[in-house]
Amino acid sequence: MTAKFAENVMRMLEDERTVKVLTTVDSSGTPHSVVKNSLRSDEEGNIVCLELIESSRTNSNMTGSLWFGRKVSILLVGRDGSSLQIKGRPYKCVVAGPVFEAHYRETRKQLGNVDLGAVWIIAPDEIIDESFETRWREESDAHPLRKHLDRIRAE
Amino acid sequence: MKNNEDFHELSYKEVVEKYPDVSPFVILKADIQRRTVTYTPEAVEAAARGGYQLQSRGIFTSIGRDGDFFPVSLMLRDGSSVFTSPVRTPREPYAADVVDGKKVIMDGGEIVDEVDFWYMPDYMGKTTSSGRPMWQVASARPQRMDIDPYSYCHFWDDGKGCRYCNMSSHFKKDALPARIDAQDVYETVREALKQDGRFCYIKLTAGSILSGEELFDDEVNMYIEILQAIGKNFRTRKFPSQMISSAFSLSQLERVYEQTGLMSYTSDIEVLNEEKFAWICPGKQLKVGYREWKKRIFDAVGIFGKGFVNSGIVGGVELAGPGGFGSEDEALRATLEEAEDFAVHGVSVVHCVWVPYPGSVFYGQRTPSLEYFVRLSKGLHDLRVRYDLDTDMDDYRRCGNHPDTDLARVFT
Ligand code: SF4
Repeated sequence: MTAKFAENVMRMLEDERTVKVLTTVDSSGTPHSVVKNSLRSDEEGNIVCLELIESSRTNSNMTGSLWFGRKVSILLVGRDGSSLQIKGRPYKCVVAGPVFEAHYRETRKQLGNVDLGAVWIIAPDEIIDESFETRWREESDAHPLRKHLDRIRAE
Repeated sequence: MKNNEDFHELSYKEVVEKYPDVSPFVILKADIQRRTVTYTPEAVEAAARGGYQLQSRGIFTSIGRDGDFFPVSLMLRDGSSVFTSPVRTPREPYAADVVDGKKVIMDGGEIVDEVDFWYMPDYMGKTTSSGRPMWQVASARPQRMDIDPYSYCHFWDDGKGCRYCNMSSHFKKDALPARIDAQDVYETVREALKQDGRFCYIKLTAGSILSGEELFDDEVNMYIEILQAIGKNFRTRKFPSQMISSAFSLSQLERVYEQTGLMSYTSDIEVLNEEKFAWICPGKQLKVGYREWKKRIFDAVGIFGKGFVNSGIVGGVELAGPGGFGSEDEALRATLEEAEDFAVHGVSVVHCVWVPYPGSVFYGQRTPSLEYFVRLSKGLHDLRVRYDLDTDMDDYRRCGNHPDTDLARVFT
């Protein structure tokens, strides 16, 4: 399906201290963001997202995205302030079978008496390094005209 | 419809294009149900290797009884189920196949999408203490357990069963006792619940039993006995469950509600028009009548609550020949008008897709166009939105047989 993630992406996905935010949109384009620390990668290079609340806005938007080809965005913020954005498409909604049951058991082990609404598989389309240092460098290199003159004033 | 074919029927792709606001998965599901499916040997082989169900006992269809093993049914990529089987219809069926190691659904040699089959639950290989194989006691959808405690319908005693229904002919071939034992049910459910995350709902249905002091009393008593046996497996008084039964009287329903853990109730009106109902469901008309059947469903809301009572229709059968509606537009108008009356009374109408099964009076008839089912699904869904009717009790996950309730997954 897709290439495996680069090492830095894997590190951020696996680090428990990474803040992970999933943003979806509804049919009118209204965005909806939630912290989803359960986001992780699978062996095929997809993102796995566990949805505990079956009737949530996110679950509805994810279904709409799968049905109508809308993208979702995942923002990862590392403990060192670095950040990555992954844009992708919900590819599959798993609500039964061994993969679902394994996540169900694991979720309940971790969180106690909760339920699992769906296991979402998101196919990544692009990964953007959103860290300020990287974006600043890119901006300066690509747009030398975009700057306030006082920044280059002679001392 | 009257079986004439002198109009151009839009293909799946054309319907998807024409209805960009309707889920292509819902459209695909309706089309697979309408045209049915065949399985290539590679698909059967993949199912056998992958831990999927190749055997099932139901009151309308059974699989694997005559050594004809094939996947019990399909799941689409969005997690919705497609309840279908290789039944011959006048149309070309879809084919489930394996291409590049992936299970796919094909239409005319073209891959339409990836699919999955229904996994086999752990209890299925086991037997009850009476020696009965548990797969004969309960069948399994991806997240639902189906217990059908009586596999014959007494409307057929004098040949007045519903004209689209094959239960009687299926029962004669089944060679298993009609009645399922309550202890077997208790043990099977107990075993099934050991598998964490496998089931979220239990559905019961059966043929109508007309006998008893009051009409249907024996059917009521049977459900109470079976539901009580199931209930012994839960620590809560009520458990997520649905009974699809005859239209019971208020006092009968009160009895079921008070004495069991049942949470939701369905009684199928089948066709939303009094005259067509009388023709298509002569037994129901004779014993209860359209208006009384409808009233009993409305009354049930007072017991189970809004959102916990609905009624099923056999979508498309209102166009069966020779007594059905003359055009799809007329059928749709009449059906949605009547469905609105149900919605006003707090009852959601859900549709399945009519497939003229062998053994039914209507076998061999041509069913409506795909577009008809899309308009019907959309119409029923829109009514639910307008009247604020929840459809958890028969949604994509707890049932999976209704294209219209799949639409509720995305908020509007
Ligand atoms: S009531 Fe009608 S549809 Fe139901 S089992 Fe009897 S004959 Fe079949």
